[in-house]
Amino acid sequence: MVDVGALFSVLVTGIGVGALYSLIAIGFSLIYKITGVLNFAQGQFALLGAFLVVTLSTSLPLWMFDVQVPVVAALILTVLIGAALGLLLERFVFRYFIGEPVLSVIIVTLAFLSIIDGGVRFFISSQYRAYPDALQPDWSVSLPFDTAVQAPFVLGVVLALLTVAGLMAFFRYTVMGSILRASASDQQAAMVLGVSIERTIVVAWALSIAITSIGGILLAMSSGGAGFTIGDVTILVFAAVVFGGLDSIPGAFIGGLVVGVLRQFGVYLEEFLMPGLDSVLPMVFLLVVIMVMPYGLFGTERIERL
Amino acid sequence: MPSGEYFTSYEDRMGLLRWRIEYVAFALGLPIPLLAPFVMTGQLVSVFTLVFIFIIGVLGLHVMLSYAGEIVLAQGVFMGIGAYTASRIINELALGILPAMLIAGLVTAFIALVFGLPAWRVKGFYVAISTLALQFIAIQFFFRRSEFAVIHGGTQQSLPSNIGLVTDVITIGSATEEYFFAFVVMVVFAVLTMNLSRTGIGRMFRALHENDLSAQVLGINRFRNKLMAYAIGGFMVGVSGALYAIYIGFITPEFYSIDITLLQYVMLLLGGMGRVWGVILGVTTVELLNHYLLETLINAFPEATALEPVFFGVIIIVVLIVEPKGIMAALGQLKEYLRKWPYAY
Repeated sequence: MVDVGALFSVLVTGIGVGALYSLIAIGFSLIYKITGVLNFAQGQFALLGAFLVVTLSTSLPLWMFDVQVPVVAALILTVLIGAALGLLLERFVFRYFIGEPVLSVIIVTLAFLSIIDGGVRFFISSQYRAYPDALQPDWSVSLPFDTAVQAPFVLGVVLALLTVAGLMAFFRYTVMGSILRASASDQQAAMVLGVSIERTIVVAWALSIAITSIGGILLAMSSGGAGFTIGDVTILVFAAVVFGGLDSIPGAFIGGLVVGVLRQFGVYLEEFLMPGLDSVLPMVFLLVVIMVMPYGLFGTERIERL
Repeated sequence: MPSGEYFTSYEDRMGLLRWRIEYVAFALGLPIPLLAPFVMTGQLVSVFTLVFIFIIGVLGLHVMLSYAGEIVLAQGVFMGIGAYTASRIINELALGILPAMLIAGLVTAFIALVFGLPAWRVKGFYVAISTLALQFIAIQFFFRRSEFAVIHGGTQQSLPSNIGLVTDVITIGSATEEYFFAFVVMVVFAVLTMNLSRTGIGRMFRALHENDLSAQVLGINRFRNKLMAYAIGGFMVGVSGALYAIYIGFITPEFYSIDITLLQYVMLLLGGMGRVWGVILGVTTVELLNHYLLETLINAFPEATALEPVFFGVIIIVVLIVEPKGIMAALGQLKEYLRKWPYAY
């Protein structure tokens, strides 16, 4: 007998979790759309954001002083650091890989995966860090069928919707947005028209990592603190963006929601079958999508010519 | 290079040893790895055994990546499958190293074929993503769950330290014996890989790598050749995984995570893609670097071992920025420079 209430709760929680994934996925497809870089370290950037908040707000061993930043300031600082990191990455690393083969870029992002992972383990903490109380909101929104949505998920859904709407508006109505679109569709033509490609790529990286760190923070909030499992979100993000179409931001949003629901459905199935299904189900989904419709829902299909 | 064409027959032109100096280098260089274990410290012998084992694995990656151009991110799984198969054959059937190695290779080749199925529809980074997904399923789920013990025979297994080549004839146990065994297997696979690039199959792989559309127009079956590359490469990586398991004597899924994939990519890229010598140079450099770096780190800052992946990441990015074609290309430039020295041209 299928329990409607349980399934509804799977759906709602799934959308909540999925909204967090979709924030990170939006960061991913933003970068892919504009620079063509396939970032295998997206989960690690989220991880970095999650750990930075807890370090900044609890104890910041700044030489001899033990500085404590208020929580809100820590959040803002983390997002700003994320954006600054995007700037630095573009300036000192990815600029050298414009026009290099796909493989080199993939390897560079894989290298970042291990750099950030090792760096966080050494410089910040090698263990799970619980979030301060101010970052653990205990309110929730009740829905029919006795289901309640936790605060991080509500925030995630709201923020993800805002981000998608904001980015769409940004791309459509601002000058910078149309410059970004222009360089995404044809870099050379954009350059001829006087667009500074370097600057657009910088903007893309800064935006992407800032959004990703927000996603990482919310993901950490939903589990009560920052742990290294956040890094595993990369592969879920792949499932999300491949389903939505690699270079589509609304696609990434929808893909994230679908992956979140699938994951919760896996958790639900665990009772009947075996544990571990929550991580396998999205992977199987990813493989099926790759085989059946590699360009996803809204992705641009590539036509090859000799 | 002196001017004029020196080769008068096809055999001379395509031979593995073409110039007189290459014969001299071969004759002088061959005894070095054979005599080395009697001179080196025990620790270094074991490091070089590991080097040989990794060379076999990276040669498999080399076939898939530099010959056929498939970005396969499932090295860890392939090694893991080889290791678990070898462990079951040695522990339960007691057949010895050689059959274990061969069967491990064949099983891995078969699984690699399955991993290559997405190549039917997609290429490039879609292959990277789908192999990464399969890696994730296999290591995080399949090998970790004891429900599947019927297939993989237990999440953690250990192997005996003395194993015969076939059943229990000629046991391989001491570090020196392992060194020589790994060396012989490595040489066999290195020669096979070199020869593969000279056969029609190797040329078809290259054609598909350079421009798969043109190759298909010329009548090369893309899907079949890609699958063949997966099978050949998977076989080598499986053998390498089997030897790695025997070398360490213990297997657990943590050994075969994405880290080992990344390590092998670092080795391949650092040495230079496309040449067997590049693979050998790359693996040796990385392993020695790894060995000494870890030693220095442990001596200087005992708590800094977490920094090792950071160093590796930085090294690979710097290498890709400075010399994207690897050590082999850098050596070629050095040779050109020395040939003209002291003039600039």
